[in-house]
Amino acid sequence: MRRGIALLLALAGLVLFGQGGYIHAKALLAQVLLERAFTETIATGRATKPWSWADTWPVARIEVKRIHARTIVLAGSSGQALAFGPGHVENTPEAGERGVTVYSAHRDTHFRFLQDIVIGDEIDVTRSDGKTFRYRADSTSVVRFDASGIDALGDGHELVLSTCWPFEALTPGPDRYLLHATLIGPVP
Amino acid sequence: MTICGEIQPDRPWRLSRKMRVILFFAFEGAAALLIGFAALFLSFEPGWSAERAQPAFLKASDARSGSLLLKTEDGYADASRLGIDVDLAVSGPTVRARVTQIFRNPTQNWVEAVYVYPLPSGGAVDTLKMVVGDRVIVGDIKERQQARLIYEQAARNGQKAALTEQERPNIFTNSVANIGPGETVLVQIEYQEPVQQNGHEFSLRLPMVVGPRYNPAPVVQSVDFRPDGGGWGAIKSDPVPDRDRISPQVLDPATNAPVNPTSITVRLQAGFALGEVKSHHHAIKTESPDGNTRIIKLAEGPVPADRDFELTWKPAAEKAPSVGLFREHVGDSDYLLAFVTPPSVEQSEKKPLPREVIFVIDNSGSMGGVSIIQAKASLIYALGRLQPGDRFNVIRFDHTMDVLFPTSVPADREHVGQATSFVGALQANGGTEMVPAMRAALSDNANLGDANYVRQVVFLTDGAIGNEQQLFETINALRGRSRIFMVGIGSAPNTHLMTRAAELGRGTFTHIGSVEQVEERMRGLFAKLENPVVTNLTAKFSDTAADITPSAIPDLYRDEPLILAARLDKLSGSVEIKGRIGDRPWVVTLPLANSAEGKGLSKLWARRKIADAEVARTTRQATPDEADKTILALALEHQLVTRLTSLVAVDKTPSRPEGEPLKVTELPINLPAGWDFEKVFGERQRLPVTPTERRADAGEAKVQVAALKRPVPAVTAAPSTVQLPKTATDAELRMILGVILIIFSCGLFAFNRRQALLP
Repeated sequence: MRRGIALLLALAGLVLFGQGGYIHAKALLAQVLLERAFTETIATGRATKPWSWADTWPVARIEVKRIHARTIVLAGSSGQALAFGPGHVENTPEAGERGVTVYSAHRDTHFRFLQDIVIGDEIDVTRSDGKTFRYRADSTSVVRFDASGIDALGDGHELVLSTCWPFEALTPGPDRYLLHATLIGPVP
Repeated sequence: MTICGEIQPDRPWRLSRKMRVILFFAFEGAAALLIGFAALFLSFEPGWSAERAQPAFLKASDARSGSLLLKTEDGYADASRLGIDVDLAVSGPTVRARVTQIFRNPTQNWVEAVYVYPLPSGGAVDTLKMVVGDRVIVGDIKERQQARLIYEQAARNGQKAALTEQERPNIFTNSVANIGPGETVLVQIEYQEPVQQNGHEFSLRLPMVVGPRYNPAPVVQSVDFRPDGGGWGAIKSDPVPDRDRISPQVLDPATNAPVNPTSITVRLQAGFALGEVKSHHHAIKTESPDGNTRIIKLAEGPVPADRDFELTWKPAAEKAPSVGLFREHVGDSDYLLAFVTPPSVEQSEKKPLPREVIFVIDNSGSMGGVSIIQAKASLIYALGRLQPGDRFNVIRFDHTMDVLFPTSVPADREHVGQATSFVGALQANGGTEMVPAMRAALSDNANLGDANYVRQVVFLTDGAIGNEQQLFETINALRGRSRIFMVGIGSAPNTHLMTRAAELGRGTFTHIGSVEQVEERMRGLFAKLENPVVTNLTAKFSDTAADITPSAIPDLYRDEPLILAARLDKLSGSVEIKGRIGDRPWVVTLPLANSAEGKGLSKLWARRKIADAEVARTTRQATPDEADKTILALALEHQLVTRLTSLVAVDKTPSRPEGEPLKVTELPINLPAGWDFEKVFGERQRLPVTPTERRADAGEAKVQVAALKRPVPAVTAAPSTVQLPKTATDAELRMILGVILIIFSCGLFAFNRRQALLP
């Protein structure tokens, strides 16, 4: 009888573990498909959906060479898009343009590497037209989601990578960790 | 567990076959419950619950360190008092309002009074007069900062001075400096606004009180400041940067008699023979000198300023005139105001498109009292009006949010029944986080095959929030093909928010001020929702260049007139208005020579242009700099108070003797009628939020020395901060819970085996 309980608990545990693992697996797998779609986008110059039923498409690639981090950014920051990759937050300019470009991703998947970035790291962003821009990380801050203080149309050329804070927390919260970077220039 | 103990150790398996099945389900249920509870407890994230401990409302007294008005239990016996007299003259299409505020200082000190008050959001404030003794001082329009400086300077010099500033397009502040002991000062402002028309009914609304607004509390922590821009984001990131300027003291109606007695007179000259004239929230007495004129006064003399005044009138004839054309010549230009009501066409021949209606209901604390009853009644009425072919969904929000159905569902009896009982059970409590609810309402599943449905969002709220700009940006970014219909609930909804949200969402704004109005107004709204009348509207002048506002004419719904203001080089030729009614073209041509003389049209035109510029700024069609330049030029030319300009009047003769200090009094406002004080401000005992060390000298502390006053606030542009998405998954939480359960079950296994092995 007790074995029955134990079995059940084990089963429930496996299901939960599996659900958690599924989120990570989806995040990892999608990036492979996204990488492919993004390469095609650069080659053809047209937005390409990574899979036929996707409601978003890749718009940029973020790369931090020092820590070998690389991820494809999707259009929009809806929950659906964020499950597969970082999202380009609506109403912020494209990388390399005047203003503040904001990319957002989950702290436990695509933007886990944000905690490894140190001030001075170089961040390369490749746009869907193939142009690459290099940014330098120059500060970090923690703000509330609705009080980011980011003026997307401000002067200067900036990049903000945003994720949930704190990194170790298990439940969603209102705080966001921001990594600010300033444009150095285009990468030839 | 006791059952397990009774099982014979030598035949543990056979006996329990049936039992095992039962126990299987029992334990499965228990395990599910366990997980559910664990998830429930863990999902209350610490960040939020910690915040909840502090009051969600920051009031003037919290934020404005230098100008505390300290409240004692005995009320405001010694503080300055205020009387208000409103004189409204309706002539044809416009209302000219003269608001006289009487500031009396019963104290022994020289005081400065600051009064926050609402005006209609289409109102153009153009005149400020101050009456001191027998002298009248007329105010000048100045750039906001400059006006502030002039006022501060006069206040220091001991001169009487008055300043009118715009805090929101519908919230203004009057400051009056150097009111002597026992002295009375009159401050008069005048504004112009267009008459509202809906079907055969004309109306005007006079807002009387600023409802306390929920201002999302800012939390800014910085790990690492930017090397270049010291203190990055420290001030900018507050979603309501001017929270202290729009949060006046509010009196608890239970312990204070209503203050700010207000008298109202309306001189109504509609330009046609008048039929029924009705006031919706106040008793009135009406005189009729002739068929076209009415003089309306409050029946019971002055009333406390705690609910909006609303007056409607109808023509004696069955049908209202369907066209109105008015002109005014100012400077080198002619201004034109046109009202056109499109003909109503029988819709019965065409089957209306099926609709997808998303209802959003605000059940936050500010909706407590009568408001939530009105909102629920309105929504339940609306649910009853859905047609079998329609789809719908219901979202409720306070600082949390629930979406009733995962996606929109057909409006069959079962779903409507579910929704009705869901709405019936709602309670008003908590904060107002409107933006996530709007986002949810606008997330459109067009790819699910319901793209053929007309998508309408009906949003019921009192609009008591201070971060309007964020809501506008959300609407602008996400509206897609949805139309947003705002339903303002309660006695003092935030008209500016409602009007602008409806405008951005290409819908309409309906105000419901009392439970009795629910059915009538909702019926009107639904008639509109079911019948969009005229689309693709354009206006063209035949032989003159014209600057027309609104530049993009919105769709018209049933009974709505098209209101068009224009500045013309010369008054000749005609204006042609084109559109489509259903699938048929509609054209009307109005010869300009037939227009009638009107008053204040240039100001209405300028006010609309300013509103357009503000919209362009919100929608990023113009850069903030460009928009501000346009607004400033218009405001200075037409003498209007705007976000960037203020009116200031200074008496040349100093009145306060040197050496006498000036004290600041902030005038308290009433809570809007029907609001529940405890719901809005939390428990009564917690208020006032008074620093204890000041309580000792409460008598003296009611007013404070002007020198300690708040620093001169810079022109605070509305914040345009980026909203960051939610970026955490519960993957790890699930995995950890999973591991815990597995380990636990392993332990249980081991324990079982040991038990089984024992003799």
